[in-house]
Amino acid sequence: MKQLASSFRDPAGYLFTKDSVLYRSISAQYKTHYEHLMSSGLYQKLTSERKLVTHTQENIGFEDNITIKPEFIPVISYPYEWAFSQLKDAALLTLSIQKDALEHGMTLKDASAFNVQFVGAAPLFIDTLSFELLNATQPWIAYRQFCQHFLAPLSLMAHVDIRLLSLFETHLDGIPLDLTSTLLPFSTRFNFSLFLHIHMHAKSQKKFERSPSKNTTSRAAFSLTKHKALIDSLITTITKLTLPKISTEWADYYSDDSYTTTGLISKQTIVSQFLRIIKPETVCDLGANDGFFSLLAKQHAQRVISTDYDPLCVENNYLRLKSQNSSDILPLMINITNTSPARGWNHTERLAFEDRIQVDCSLALALIHHLAISNNIPLVFLAQYFSSLSPYLIIEFVPKTDKKVKTLLATRKDVFPTYTQESFEEIFAEKFHILEKVAIDNSERTLYLMRRLK
Amino acid sequence: MKLLLATLMLTFCSNSYCYIDPGTGSFIFQLFAAGALTGIFAFKSYWQSFKNLFSRKK
Repeated sequence: MKQLASSFRDPAGYLFTKDSVLYRSISAQYKTHYEHLMSSGLYQKLTSERKLVTHTQENIGFEDNITIKPEFIPVISYPYEWAFSQLKDAALLTLSIQKDALEHGMTLKDASAFNVQFVGAAPLFIDTLSFELLNATQPWIAYRQFCQHFLAPLSLMAHVDIRLLSLFETHLDGIPLDLTSTLLPFSTRFNFSLFLHIHMHAKSQKKFERSPSKNTTSRAAFSLTKHKALIDSLITTITKLTLPKISTEWADYYSDDSYTTTGLISKQTIVSQFLRIIKPETVCDLGANDGFFSLLAKQHAQRVISTDYDPLCVENNYLRLKSQNSSDILPLMINITNTSPARGWNHTERLAFEDRIQVDCSLALALIHHLAISNNIPLVFLAQYFSSLSPYLIIEFVPKTDKKVKTLLATRKDVFPTYTQESFEEIFAEKFHILEKVAIDNSERTLYLMRRLK
Repeated sequence: MKLLLATLMLTFCSNSYCYIDPGTGSFIFQLFAAGALTGIFAFKSYWQSFKNLFSRKK
């Protein structure tokens, strides 16, 4: 049995693995709450509406604990890897669950964004132990956490800059409200909801940390109506947050002139042919842009992780997958040159991106020149990295004569004498068997299928 | 007053896990904010009921 480092904060239970299967142990003191969740109809409602993860009760308990086996979540992702709309949908799911919980005499005792995972493009609440019996007079304990984990990053992305989600990566318990209030433009003070839940809330935090209020006790009673009013207000606030119309470097990649129609069809045919040979279960599309080739990969694999570092590309990818009810393609915002590292307590609380994915094949299409030339990453490093990711690699080589590479080199000195197709093959052959090599029609680019050396 | 507030929060938390810190300022602020929001919520609920009634009759 191995206890997971991500679940040490809540005394209600913990996660552990046994024979590589994930279980959740529920402590005896939490039993009453768990039994109410199961008997009140709340669990039935939430799981049937696909809001909460399902589980089965197992007989491998320790001491007086109950043990449950949650359904398998293929890929664990973190909020700072999500698109704006993913975080927004996770927020609305959390509020919707809190609303349902209130109707069943329960409440969420935490509102962490890490309690939500994406199965494909659908958010799912994964913490079965987040529910506790509602104390009729108690305010929502998780209000501060909800505002920090959801409202703060979403309002910053909507009103300041979409890239500010990265603040979440360094503030694992959500972005502090005083920082959010400082960063938001003055105009947001005229937005009633943001004025209330961010600016006034932050001011109140500052004030009462030093001197507690006088009228607190007289206003302490917190009715069910107040709970509902608070949740209703937060739902309205989150729903109204939208991204401004913006454009990013990569958002129009497939509508520009990188490929001719023949070239694009040829590339699709070759990638399909490679995927048919290896029949992967999971594919990780690196630099997926809006997920065009992830959709193609899905035709040959059970699931695809579709990554890009451009927040707007990931946003567009997610919105399209969501509209198609896709449950097999997970869009994530990942920067290959700086992937999410291990974070939190002792660097074990949140795992590095590479430690959370199990992939059979990586797709690195039209990517290598950006890594090798734009980011000065030596080909040796790239071969090493890709060989650590998955046993198979489908990679596109883009030569210096390609107009995109010419553009990259137009404003800088060419310090890449070894960036040649011959050198690329030689270096990658030290880590991979080159199984296939096919030139893309009407293009100077070449696609390779490689298998990692044992 | 500080002692009173601390007692109040501990009373609330004694019946629940409260394993996360609700934050003193957030806790107190919520009491005020929810009071104000209840009026808006009640109005919205009544308005919705009225609209439903109207749409049923129609």
